[in-house]
Amino acid sequence: MKTFITGSGAFLPDHVVDNEDLVDRLGIDAERIFKSSGIRSRRWAGRETTTSSLANRALGRALADAGITSAAVDYLLFGTMTPDRFIPGSAPAVQKAMALREIPCLDIRAACCNALYALQVASALVTAGAAGRVAICLAEIQSRFLDLTPESATLSMLFGDGAAALIVSAEAGPKALEIVDVLLATDGSYVDDLGIRSPGTEFGSSRSHDVENRTDFAPRMNGQSVILQASRRMVAGCRALLERNQLSAENVRWIVPHQANANLLAQVARGLGLTNGAAEMINVLEEYGNTSSASMGIALDTLRRSSKIRAGDYLLLPAFAAGFTWGAALLRS
Amino acid sequence: MPLPKAAIDFVNENAESNGANDPGRVDDLFKMGALDSFALVDFVTVLEEHCGIQVPDADVNPANFRTLEVIERYVASRRAEQ
Repeated sequence: MKTFITGSGAFLPDHVVDNEDLVDRLGIDAERIFKSSGIRSRRWAGRETTTSSLANRALGRALADAGITSAAVDYLLFGTMTPDRFIPGSAPAVQKAMALREIPCLDIRAACCNALYALQVASALVTAGAAGRVAICLAEIQSRFLDLTPESATLSMLFGDGAAALIVSAEAGPKALEIVDVLLATDGSYVDDLGIRSPGTEFGSSRSHDVENRTDFAPRMNGQSVILQASRRMVAGCRALLERNQLSAENVRWIVPHQANANLLAQVARGLGLTNGAAEMINVLEEYGNTSSASMGIALDTLRRSSKIRAGDYLLLPAFAAGFTWGAALLRS
Repeated sequence: MPLPKAAIDFVNENAESNGANDPGRVDDLFKMGALDSFALVDFVTVLEEHCGIQVPDADVNPANFRTLEVIERYVASRRAEQ
């Protein structure tokens, strides 16, 4: 059975935060932010906004794009690392707000690879007959958790808020994208090089923490390790995915990556030999920053709504995330 | 065994593009600007192509590529293992 992305939607908060707006707090030059990341601005949600409320707006657009109502959804997946609450997940909040039926609702915690994991699970659910139409929500409000001091400048300058949603089913339509294959891999040796330690059973909760260990609640990143491993693992993952589908990088028309860092994406493009212009990389990073779970969905929605995709085009969607976990999806129009 | 010319050229050209001099055998390539994280990824590819070695992902960290002398030792160890 073939499975397809039959609808997509995205939603970004209105408030634009330019690099210039961060200079005083982060103590870093605006142009340096752009040169080291490719980011010129990002969107930050207001204090009253929840992650699920961003997802609701994106899902509404995805349902309209797919030409279905919320009653037609019979499984909901929600990928985020900034949930409304620690427990339960954010999917139940969407189920209520969007008036979905009493369907299974599952949160996924694979950070910036959430879109890939969700696509693989959704495709498998449809193929197995466990669901007919799966809705995927991908959303983050990261601004609420950033340490806006010079000590965390190189991390905090990257992140934005936003949401995307996808509809997966077995129904091919005129704008549908076939989910050809998804490859995922993990190496837990790097668990401390990217992520947030607390709250959890290893490093404790807010009750057990003293003041010195408050940084366990903030995002942490070993940038060097991330760059070195992401550059190689994403390229290797893409190659393996293409090879097992009897394709090469030359067959790919669109690259829709997790929008992490422009320099990293350029490195991946070089590694795949995509510098001859045959494949085009979708970049929403400059305008929206790194929206983690949501970024790949926002980029894919941007491409779908541009009407640039032609019948038969292959799309390659690589990502790399805390864990480390990485992989790629292969889609065909 | 000395590193192949392609590897030395890569390091020297990268140093030059960052306004640094050609590195000596024990100079810290990262501190002097001859390598950074992005350049190291490309440099490892050069080593794999010209030294006949495979560099495991777990070995791609600056400690193995800190100086030309350290790199020579690393390449020799990979050749011995392979």
